[in-house]
Amino acid sequence: MVDSMSVPALLGRRALQAIPLLFVVSVLVFLLIHAVPGGPFAIYLSNPNVRPEDIERLRRAYGLDRPLWLQYWSWLAAFTRGDWGFSVIDGRSVSARIVERVPATLELVGTSIVAALALTLPAGIGGAVRRGRWFDRLTGAVAMAGISLPPFWFGLLLQMVFAAFLGWLPSSGRTTPGYAGATAMTALADRVRHLVLPVTVLAVVQAAAWSRYLRGSMIETLAQPFIAAARARGVPARLVILRHALRPAIGSTLAIVMVDAALVASGAVVTESVFAWPGLGSLFTEALARRDYSVLMALLMLTSTAIVVSNVAADAAHALIDPRCV
Amino acid sequence: MKSGGQWAGPPPPRCALRRACAAGAMVVLTIGPAACARRPAGVPPSNELLIVGYDREPDTLNRFSTHILEDIQSCIVEGLTTTDEQMRVVPLLAREVPSLENGLVRVRADGGMDVTWKLRPGVTWHDGVPFTSADVKFTVDAINSPRYNPESTDGFDRIGSVDTPDALTAIVHYKEIYAPYDIQFIRGALPKHVLEGRDIDGALDYNRNPLGTGPYRVAEWRAGEYILLERVARYWRGTEYPHIRRLLFKFVANTNTRINQLHGGEVHVVALVPWDKYREVAAVPSIVVHQTPGNAYEHVTLNERQFPPFADVRVRRALLHALDRERYTRTILDGLAPVAHGPIQPVSWAYSDRITRYPFDPARARALLDEAGWRPDPDGIRRRDGRPLAFTLMTQAGYAIRENIAQAIERQLRDVGVDVRVELHDGTEISAIWFEGRFDAMLHWWQMPADPELTTFFAADRTPPMGRNINYFKHDELTQVLYASDRTVDRAERKRLLDRAQAIVTEAAPELPLYTVTRLDAVPASLDGFRGNPTNTGIFWNVHEWSIR
Repeated sequence: MVDSMSVPALLGRRALQAIPLLFVVSVLVFLLIHAVPGGPFAIYLSNPNVRPEDIERLRRAYGLDRPLWLQYWSWLAAFTRGDWGFSVIDGRSVSARIVERVPATLELVGTSIVAALALTLPAGIGGAVRRGRWFDRLTGAVAMAGISLPPFWFGLLLQMVFAAFLGWLPSSGRTTPGYAGATAMTALADRVRHLVLPVTVLAVVQAAAWSRYLRGSMIETLAQPFIAAARARGVPARLVILRHALRPAIGSTLAIVMVDAALVASGAVVTESVFAWPGLGSLFTEALARRDYSVLMALLMLTSTAIVVSNVAADAAHALIDPRCV
Repeated sequence: MKSGGQWAGPPPPRCALRRACAAGAMVVLTIGPAACARRPAGVPPSNELLIVGYDREPDTLNRFSTHILEDIQSCIVEGLTTTDEQMRVVPLLAREVPSLENGLVRVRADGGMDVTWKLRPGVTWHDGVPFTSADVKFTVDAINSPRYNPESTDGFDRIGSVDTPDALTAIVHYKEIYAPYDIQFIRGALPKHVLEGRDIDGALDYNRNPLGTGPYRVAEWRAGEYILLERVARYWRGTEYPHIRRLLFKFVANTNTRINQLHGGEVHVVALVPWDKYREVAAVPSIVVHQTPGNAYEHVTLNERQFPPFADVRVRRALLHALDRERYTRTILDGLAPVAHGPIQPVSWAYSDRITRYPFDPARARALLDEAGWRPDPDGIRRRDGRPLAFTLMTQAGYAIRENIAQAIERQLRDVGVDVRVELHDGTEISAIWFEGRFDAMLHWWQMPADPELTTFFAADRTPPMGRNINYFKHDELTQVLYASDRTVDRAERKRLLDRAQAIVTEAAPELPLYTVTRLDAVPASLDGFRGNPTNTGIFWNVHEWSIR
């Protein structure tokens, strides 16, 4: 688009567009989670020690007997003030429950994205450059397997082989409980050991998609006249690929990676649950099972915001790398 | 394309690749040996540390507020009584269980009753403050206070007042007869000196690290990961107890992961092993799967309000005769669960065997349905007045055994001309649906309390929201007998009334009992002192006796 709009102006416009979008999302999410049968106290219904009058008493105490629109309104008013409410599960503040889980998720998702990129770049570039040769066929087959693997099944398989059968790696958790490690190095090694299996699951699944995308984009770029021109000028082949071809080709892949970053975090819900990883994903699973409305709302709004932000960031990054996109 | 010309296939950027490989190799060489050295994933169980693979993180460690099983809590906070492996109520912080016979229960002329609790001397809270009758009184007052929201106020709301004539005696005055008085304080007591005058719902210091009198205290709670308990220095039973120094409850929500961890030795104990995992777990050499005859029973609820043909006793009996329950237990249940015939299981003192049984007899089932006017059509489905005998059977998704049993029921009822469609829902969703009575039939279980109260399940006036009579079954004599049994503390008289109730229930067959739920717990083969428990009290009720050989 031939437009003189600068990157900050673009960001500003997108941010303004995001506000009504997030509002609509909040209404939809609120209605959806309340439309699912069973509330936070449904779990008590099967417990013979809890009488129906006790359940009514708890519903009133938590304000769940009020009309839905009123519940939404109080939630929205509090949420916009930064008050995310209290978890019905343990009575602690939602923000405290979320904040304590963020580092684990960032650690898992961050490492997985780096690992996925480390797999994507050689597989994508190599696949394009050596198109049709054995390397391309091999990475293509592996990528297809990666895309098709259900993460929970892949995770359980890795656990059975590397933890239960071979005993090389711990099957779940973030650290060995009570194992502080003799030195900082062994403590770090303990963390790394716990990361290997869940990161493998997330990275393989992501790299499978990203590498195919990068490969396609590279093939398209390599066929462009400016590549032929660069080669005609005698630019070394390595520079042609890494500078002339990769830069424009990686722009769109990077945009996908940034958009996917938020999705990797949400994809980690299953992986975190399989590997008992103490992050936001397992918090989400727990909150969903218990219909802990305030925790669910906060997590879903955070995810939505993260997706919007990553989209805006992807646009900006793409614009910076490839000015034609502004 | 590769063959398109010299431009299409330039040599790869070898230097960059080489540099990347070198950097990767450095990282692997630095951290790799430490990370991947063959250190066994787990450690063997010992008296130093026992690791429990626990299916969920507790909501709170306050026993009165929690909604889940009180396994972890029961290691920290002790009740005045508890229930043992045979579901008998035994004293814990009380010197004895009050009864009419020992004179500690007195029925008053005004219809109320007084229960005297004599507390064990020499018991202190973990901070050294003596445990006294003032704590018992404080607990009753706190639970009845509108400012606190415990999980249940059952029984407490029938207490008028508590007298504390001395530090070790609490006399509880009930406004009316309350038969399960002996398990009223099974969840223990709240420490008055810590919680008096405070908002208990918001007392996070107590709710996440409660003060108790039990053998363990919380050493660390890592959100989403684990709770570590460590033995207290001066446990009232003596310094030799408990034998195991630290208990680690590791939260592993995924069942398959928990079982994998048992294989790898990363956890040593898994409570409530799913039956379809029994063979796999029993094959682990260092593990014993302990079987405890349970107090829960799997059954099919027949909602008479939603599907009126269930109101005909002949139809209900026909459905029971059509099911080969012996075969279910032999095949699907791997012989782990005996057939159940009624709502009270043999482990209970109130169980009666003078009940009606319904052997597998498809011919009898067909005859009963014919008699009730349901005649088979050419398609094999029975109809009456043009309406088919067809209903949906709701059950929990993702629960392999239940899904298999539901399919077996569907098949066997089809054989006698009844059209059943199985419908699967997630657990929380199911609770909401049944509470609103929006189902025809439901395959599920009731975990019965240690006290054999049946009123909430069968009394005519206890349909939701007033109770759990979701068969919507109405039987006047049964209702009368059940209420009478709730209002007697004379054990022999109560047994007589409950015998009659079981006879009525099994004769009228308001629901289809299938099997008694056996509890499976995987524990180390080297663990001594494990006794199991059929109730919600959980397996840790005697954890102080456990030790590793």
